[in-house]
Amino acid sequence: MLKSLRKLTGILCVLLLLSGCWSSTEIEDLALYLGLSLDAGKPAPKEKDLERKGARYPKQDKLLVTIQVVPAVGVASNEDKSLEKSSPFFNISGSGDSILQIFRQFSIRLDRPIIGHHLKVIVISADLLKKQSAEQLTDFLLRDNDIRPSCIVLVSEGEAMDVLVGTPNKEIPAVSLIGMSRNRSRTSKVMRPVTLARLDAMIHSRKSFVLQRLITAGKETLFSGAEIIKGSIGQSIGSLGEDDTMCLTWLRGEGDRGVIKVNDSKGEPLVFEMKSLKSKITPHVEGEEISFDVKITTTGRIIETWSKGDTSTTQEYADEASKIFEEELIRMMTQLIHKLQDTYAADVAGFGDQLAIKYPSVWKKVKDDWDERFSQSKISISYKLSITDFGSFSEKK
Amino acid sequence: MFNRTDDKITSSQAAVFLTNTLLGAGILSLPRNVTQAMETPDAWLTILLGGAAMLGIVLLMVKLCLHFPGQTVFQYAGKIIGKIPGKLVGMLLILYFIVVAGFEIRTLAEVTTFFLLEGTPSEAIVLPFIWAGVYLVLGGINSIARVFQIVLPISILVLLVSFGVSLRLFDINHLRPVLGSGFLPILRGMKTAILIYAGCEVILTLTAFLQEPKQAVKAMLGGIAIPIFLYLLTVVFVIGCLSVDSVVTSTWPTIDLVRSFEITGFFIERLEFPFMVIWLMQMFCNFSSFFFQASLGISQIFNVRLKPVIFLLAPAIFIATMLPRSLQDVFTLGDSIGYIGLGMFFLLPLLLTLIWMIRKKGTKGHA
Repeated sequence: MLKSLRKLTGILCVLLLLSGCWSSTEIEDLALYLGLSLDAGKPAPKEKDLERKGARYPKQDKLLVTIQVVPAVGVASNEDKSLEKSSPFFNISGSGDSILQIFRQFSIRLDRPIIGHHLKVIVISADLLKKQSAEQLTDFLLRDNDIRPSCIVLVSEGEAMDVLVGTPNKEIPAVSLIGMSRNRSRTSKVMRPVTLARLDAMIHSRKSFVLQRLITAGKETLFSGAEIIKGSIGQSIGSLGEDDTMCLTWLRGEGDRGVIKVNDSKGEPLVFEMKSLKSKITPHVEGEEISFDVKITTTGRIIETWSKGDTSTTQEYADEASKIFEEELIRMMTQLIHKLQDTYAADVAGFGDQLAIKYPSVWKKVKDDWDERFSQSKISISYKLSITDFGSFSEKK
Repeated sequence: MFNRTDDKITSSQAAVFLTNTLLGAGILSLPRNVTQAMETPDAWLTILLGGAAMLGIVLLMVKLCLHFPGQTVFQYAGKIIGKIPGKLVGMLLILYFIVVAGFEIRTLAEVTTFFLLEGTPSEAIVLPFIWAGVYLVLGGINSIARVFQIVLPISILVLLVSFGVSLRLFDINHLRPVLGSGFLPILRGMKTAILIYAGCEVILTLTAFLQEPKQAVKAMLGGIAIPIFLYLLTVVFVIGCLSVDSVVTSTWPTIDLVRSFEITGFFIERLEFPFMVIWLMQMFCNFSSFFFQASLGISQIFNVRLKPVIFLLAPAIFIATMLPRSLQDVFTLGDSIGYIGLGMFFLLPLLLTLIWMIRKKGTKGHA
């Protein structure tokens, strides 16, 4: 009797463990947000009406947060086939002074709690980055336990919330941005993505850096250029164009894709498709003088020419053409270096990193005003561009 | 006295036992701890140097134990320094083991509530682990060693896979320059690099359970070589992938490393979940080991049966677990554990060996 009673108690105790997860929530009951945008503060359109009617709390509207929530409709209504297929996502915006506070305001406006486990893209408007430092803006995002450090950070030229608008019945904007960031295999105008983890390191190092910039017109968004964040203030000081960005990626050795187009002697387009590129930065220190030697070696093919007569595929022609391409590459690079040194005085190409590796003691002395020292240091670049083939086209003359 | 003669372990089991005692929560915050003290990417050198120092300490401990075959430190400490001081040292060690056991479980709970089970009270996470620990420890050293043998290969595999796929972020420039600020930072980091081996004192009892005491040196050196290697790998990968600047600001850099990428298309897109689940088992092993040492100590010092001690110790460990009020408290406790551990490394083996040698010479002279 006593024995079976004991057994019974044991079994009952085990039952306690079968109650399931303690704090579980069904995924249908959550509002997953894939995209997040940060804009300079002003009340969101809908919010204005709400505020006029008295939905207010004390705030100064330092920033405007928009999140992109998927799926827009619950599973149940999907079964209702008679309804017209609606957009797979919706955006909700709120203004305030703290990201978390705004998030919690969303909880009094939405039926489901928002959750950041699947956040993929963060878009910050350039205007906001000119007012607030990247450190202030990303502080919450790095502390939060939902948001993964793997999500990528982009800067928008205009309003960041416009980037997330997208067109109905097309891909969710946040997802297509991720897809676009993978196009590095086609063009180096797409930079190596800056994840929150990398951004954290760059902010903490107080070195200047660049973030990929987006331009939106109508409802279309494209990757265009880069925003320069000055390390000493953590704020945006300007931007680089598309070609500058491509050259920057090449210079940093983070990509070897892209085309160089020149006009040949007859004024017709002649196009070089890059196959490989190597860039090596070597620092030199002589007394107080810091200088850099850069060696850029690239190979590629002639892939397109509009010139009628000049379609020879001989080595002489290759040499001749590579001279023209090299000149163009030199022009592009010189323009980039000029912008980095003179216009912005910001080392975003990693010259400082190479100096730190080769001359750690010198670096320690100059790192506090490195951007200034960088703008005064001498940079000489040597180029070696060779054309290895002409595509599947051959003509002997 | 509780002394089952059949409860022995093989040399390889002893090596795994030692590894599983050391390899725990420390690995999750190790890169930050070392780098914060050093501020250079040379942490891997420090780990190597610290590891070398540990090999020496381990050797000393094993040699001391071999003078008293089949006896644990709780038993032979009295023979070296006298009955009462011996018991005092033993009790100090027990207290230390209890605190460390509580600390391990607490870190486990903190990491779990932060990343996995937000909203679950820590008691609900801690209690099942303690109960499972009680069940395991009741089985004696042999059962514990068997569980360790099952868990260790899995956790090493998951750790290596996690590092393997994070290779995509690896940039050798993050580890350069080597010795850029000279040798001084390495010494500053040494403290952390040795504290990470806190818990190594289990060797003092473990050696007594060896089936073949002749292989003790080999087994224990093997048991410490695995953590040294894994710590080295962790520091190299975490700093190499995230850079010094990111590591110093991250609470759990090793988890953040796994969180900084997604493997699209792979059947597990996010590796932090398998990584953490497996690492929970590793921390549980850690805890069980200390739990066992503490209960063994009490039973041997006070000459009581082991089983009731295990049951009575469970609430004590629960209290030790819940004592820190915040995460900062947990980290402070972790630091103090390291310091006490450092004392134990030197106080116990070094002092005991010295006194033992002096006394042995003394008796020889009289005879």
